[in-house]
Amino acid sequence: METYLQAEALAKHFDGVAAVEDVSFVIHTKEIFGLLGPNGAGKTTTIRMLSTILAPDSGDVRIGGHSAVREGDEVRKRIGVCPQELALYPELSAFDNLVFFGRMNGLPGRAAKARARALLAETGLDDRGGEAVKKYSGGMKRRVNIAIALMNRPKLLFLDEPTVGIDPQSRNKIFETVLGLRDEGTTVLYTTHYMEEADRLCDRIGIMDRGRIIAVGTPAELKRQVGDPGKTTLEEVFLRLTGRSLRD
Amino acid sequence: MRIFWRDRFSLTFALIFPLVFAGAFTLAWEEDDEPPGVAPRLTVVAAGQQGFPEHLVAALNDSGWTADERSLEGALDALGQGDIGGFLLFPAGFGTAIPTGSEARIRVVVSGKDPAETATLEGIARALAGRAQTVMLAVRGARDLATVPDAEQVSAVSRLPPLVSLEVRRTGERRYNPIDFTLPGYLTMFVFFVAALGAGSIVLERETRTLERLVSSGVRAASILAGKFLVAAGKGITQLAVLWMVGVFALSIDLGASPGAVVVVSLLFALASAAFGIMLAAMVNTMRSASSIAMLASLTLAPLGGCWWPLFIAPDWLQAIGRLTPHAWANDAFNRLMVFGASASDVVPNMLTLVAFAVVFGAIALVRFRLSPPT
Ligand SMILES: Nc1ncnc2c1ncn2[C@@H]1O[C@H](COP(=O)(O)OP(=O)(O)OP(=O)(O)O)[C@@H](O)[C@H]1O
Ligand SMILES: [Mg+2]
Repeated sequence: METYLQAEALAKHFDGVAAVEDVSFVIHTKEIFGLLGPNGAGKTTTIRMLSTILAPDSGDVRIGGHSAVREGDEVRKRIGVCPQELALYPELSAFDNLVFFGRMNGLPGRAAKARARALLAETGLDDRGGEAVKKYSGGMKRRVNIAIALMNRPKLLFLDEPTVGIDPQSRNKIFETVLGLRDEGTTVLYTTHYMEEADRLCDRIGIMDRGRIIAVGTPAELKRQVGDPGKTTLEEVFLRLTGRSLRD
Repeated sequence: MRIFWRDRFSLTFALIFPLVFAGAFTLAWEEDDEPPGVAPRLTVVAAGQQGFPEHLVAALNDSGWTADERSLEGALDALGQGDIGGFLLFPAGFGTAIPTGSEARIRVVVSGKDPAETATLEGIARALAGRAQTVMLAVRGARDLATVPDAEQVSAVSRLPPLVSLEVRRTGERRYNPIDFTLPGYLTMFVFFVAALGAGSIVLERETRTLERLVSSGVRAASILAGKFLVAAGKGITQLAVLWMVGVFALSIDLGASPGAVVVVSLLFALASAAFGIMLAAMVNTMRSASSIAMLASLTLAPLGGCWWPLFIAPDWLQAIGRLTPHAWANDAFNRLMVFGASASDVVPNMLTLVAFAVVFGAIALVRFRLSPPT
């Protein structure tokens, strides 16, 4: 199996407090890798370092053979980032948001428009693509947030809690999109604190707690550490590893 | 960098508001065509006359003026001969009107031959009116509230009509258009206001992480900053362009002998204001502090910088403080060019100072700017 991303001993402190410590893992090409962990575990901080937004205090990341620390430009060409926040312009229409970020990615105007139209259709927003995003439901906004990250056809897509607080219909639509992307050959890093979601969607999962990755494996491998994979849940895995419930 | 298109509403706000303001204040200043002297039994400029308020004399003295008292006839004579360019006319009851809180009127009588003098007189009258107004409001308020200070009366006081009004009269042919003064003042105030408030939207973009998103899309931090600066400057320039057009075509404003210099000063002021907005965004952490500081800065720098009354009638120490604001340098240049007949070369120092403001603000912004929100 080919490695697309390799994180080595990543660390980040804020005001002396460790947000991420000694985080190492690999993501294989064309897999959906889940980072599962409670609030404050360090998932977002990790993604920010992987996506060149935040410089790690120590450690390095290689993405598609390039260092995120030293070859930021090369890495940025290969990635799409969907942040936890709705990082878009609510006054603009979905279409304009997509075109704007596409242009910022370096797409020529016509290509950006074509790509925006295709993505709106793919995410089921084509009939309302011309409306200001602020009029959308939470789930629709989330879909736009993801679509923006897809404008440059990334090889590696970062999705930071893309399904927080949305309706089941939008959630299913997002699952469909993510699975479709993998089938087309995109590698995905997906963070969540919903275990069922990670279980259902991810090929492999890294469980994160207090800034560290405490276990990595396929859902079945992780469950086997606790008991019969057919009968246990990731919740029980987390409980066993940390002594705490994931929902705390 | 490339275009950020957004926010049609705030642009409308930026354009309509200053016009409404300039319009309203100009109306209050509006001249009428009656010859001077029809006003019954009025005393002429300042000093001693039965109960002429001493704090007004003091105000004049503060500003470096000595009150020269004449009779109405004497003053009109002098005006006719061209010895003086105009005078302030206080009504007989003015001195008593203030302590009792009833309405009073200051008249400005000018020959109109010397726009500088006209402007000066109007400025003084306005400043005096402002002062008298405060005193009178206090008097009225104190009197009304002394008995039964209930909420209704408090709100009644706040609804009082203007207590002191200004009237400007002209004897000569050449009209001095008061909007030549008011429009530049309100224009600088609002251009700066809008640019400063723009800081809030940058902070908001930082909070919603669109700035980070731009970085992860491959846009350089410096380009983002430059783009924000250009957008802010573009807004200011649009504001200025539209307002000057309205001024020239609808309000027959006079840009003076070097309209080009007026345009250059306008552009430089827009750049300095834009740089201030970016600097503000770089210095604050939250939307809330961005907008309150923007508000505060705009509303204190405007009067200090001569947007509400001409700076040259202010006391020296105030003028000195004023020179720390970009407004003062822009307004001074506009007044010189449009009212006092200065040429472009006379306002080069003003232009250079505005450039310096832009550079200093921009440099601070560059050093302090962060793309990610603090936690
Ligand atoms: N810019 C920052 N300054 C200071 N502390 C920070 C900063 N960013 C994150 N932290 C801290 O680092 C820790 C990890 O935060 P992070 O956002 O990475 O967690 P997370 O796993 O994404 O949590 P959530 O599920 O709530 O999104 C938290 O304790 C957080 O308070
Ligand atoms: Mg997070």
